[in-house]
Amino acid sequence: MPKRKLEPLPSAAFQILLALAGEELHGYAIMRQVEEQTDGKMRLGPGTLYSSIQSLLEAGLIEEREIRNETKHDARNGEDRRRFYRLTSAGRKLAVSEAERLADLLRVARAKKILRGRYV
Amino acid sequence: MSEKFYALLLRLYPAQFREDYGEEALRLFRDRFEDERGFLPRLRLWFDLICDFTVSIPREYLRPASPRAAARTSAVYPGLYVIELEPLRFSALLSGGVVTVFAVGIVYAALISQAQAIGAKKYSGGLAGDGNKPGIHERARLNSDSGSRAGASAGALSSGTDTSANANLEGAPKNANAVVAKGARLDDAERQRVIAAASIELRKHYVNRDAAPLIADALLMHERRGDYDNVTDAVAFAGLVTRQMREISADQHLSLDYFDEPFAEQQPRTPAEEMAQYRTLMKQQNCTFEKVEILPGNTGYLKINSFPDVAVCEGKAVAAMKTLNHADAVIFDLRDNRGGEPKMVQRMAAYLFDHPEYWYNPRENTTERSWTKSPVPGNLLADKPVYILTSSQTFSGAEQFCYDLKMLKRATLIGETTAGASHAGVFHRIDDHFGIGIPEVKAINPYSENDWTGVGVEPDVKVKSSDALGTAEKLALAKLFRPGA
Repeated sequence: MPKRKLEPLPSAAFQILLALAGEELHGYAIMRQVEEQTDGKMRLGPGTLYSSIQSLLEAGLIEEREIRNETKHDARNGEDRRRFYRLTSAGRKLAVSEAERLADLLRVARAKKILRGRYV
Repeated sequence: MSEKFYALLLRLYPAQFREDYGEEALRLFRDRFEDERGFLPRLRLWFDLICDFTVSIPREYLRPASPRAAARTSAVYPGLYVIELEPLRFSALLSGGVVTVFAVGIVYAALISQAQAIGAKKYSGGLAGDGNKPGIHERARLNSDSGSRAGASAGALSSGTDTSANANLEGAPKNANAVVAKGARLDDAERQRVIAAASIELRKHYVNRDAAPLIADALLMHERRGDYDNVTDAVAFAGLVTRQMREISADQHLSLDYFDEPFAEQQPRTPAEEMAQYRTLMKQQNCTFEKVEILPGNTGYLKINSFPDVAVCEGKAVAAMKTLNHADAVIFDLRDNRGGEPKMVQRMAAYLFDHPEYWYNPRENTTERSWTKSPVPGNLLADKPVYILTSSQTFSGAEQFCYDLKMLKRATLIGETTAGASHAGVFHRIDDHFGIGIPEVKAINPYSENDWTGVGVEPDVKVKSSDALGTAEKLALAKLFRPGA
């Protein structure tokens, strides 16, 4: 399996995993969720988003759910149907280990006092 | 404009990516474009997109093709051959299963909905699922079931003398070898002929004189414009025309029906045979009285799945009401009731009043017979609380029962808004396979200008139809213990 491509985990991919940690979402909702959880710093364009989704799917970290209607957006778009994605257990595991890795990094950063005066 | 431009840019991606995600990407763009209005947000949007293109296009081209194809094979479609040597993961099988179930579900749903589209009225006599072939018998039933036009029922099920539908069913010139074969692919000539005939019938018979020419013209226009050119499937064609007629009229009894079996083959059956078959069917189905029982708290419960012909099933109706006679409240379960004979609807309602009550029937002109034959001797239910369980499948005659009792404030409706089908279409034969149902009567409604046509009857208590019985039982009990409530 081409898992190697996701090591180290690109930040877009990690953000998508985090976005899906709460609930299953479709593409646009993932993009909004990522925007929200990064305070607007990361806005995934369609190309990056679906490219990352494809990689995550191939690695078995997320899976596609049955296509279903979503009232809020689809009321606007007529009878559009969307693909929803959700974390697999492998994806959840990887997100946890990635978070732990970052937490370790953060501990080092704290120890080195490069974050002086900031609450992180 | 912007969307087209973006769609153009999407062509820069590899074909595989476009195939997999092109549509989704376009939709995402559309969503953002709609959400982010104003000069700056739009500017930012295009800036984002340019960055996005620069980053992701090279990446997609660099993406190794084979693992992806392999991943697709194993992760989405469990096939008979495996590219990889690893065994399929459980999740792959699971997702494959989900996709399969989903696909089968879609096909099934499509079949069901088509079956309903062409058979909606067939079911109105509670004949659903009886496995009978749609024959002249059922077509005749349609008319009498859904109502009203006694004569339309080929004289078999009532004593009416209106022969218009009769003529159409049996007397119309037969196109012995109609263009449509079994399994039905349609050609231009056939479509043209059906549309022309439908327009003529509409103009001649449709009760709504203002709408009739509008609908007829609209159908002809669609035909001329070539809107039907790609619709070669007979069932799909009938469905499309039906939708178009209903769009203009909001009249659910207006329908173009397609029957696989040519009518001609079934002509020999006599009214007596029709009746005999109907009797047998009703006997098998206990006249569609599915359940009659007394629930805890002495609440009577009657589940009835059609309003069958009085001439055949009156005995059953009387027996059912007798069983419930000593109940303190009555629940009529009409959630699976697809309608039936207006006479039976009125007969059942008679038990709920102690004096003759005007009974609105949109399928008949008002006469002295439009009052219920109340009181019914020996009946104790005239002053008992009544609850009616409804669903979105509650149809036609069953909706009349709901509507009238609601308007008379005689029942509490619990469940979902009903289907919205009211006055019945009289069946007119077009050829061996096509027929059109056209309502020909409209009675005066004492309650308001609009009855439930096209909108359904709103329940008093809105709950999911599956929860309706529980809710009704609770309400009935609450009322028993606090009669004033």
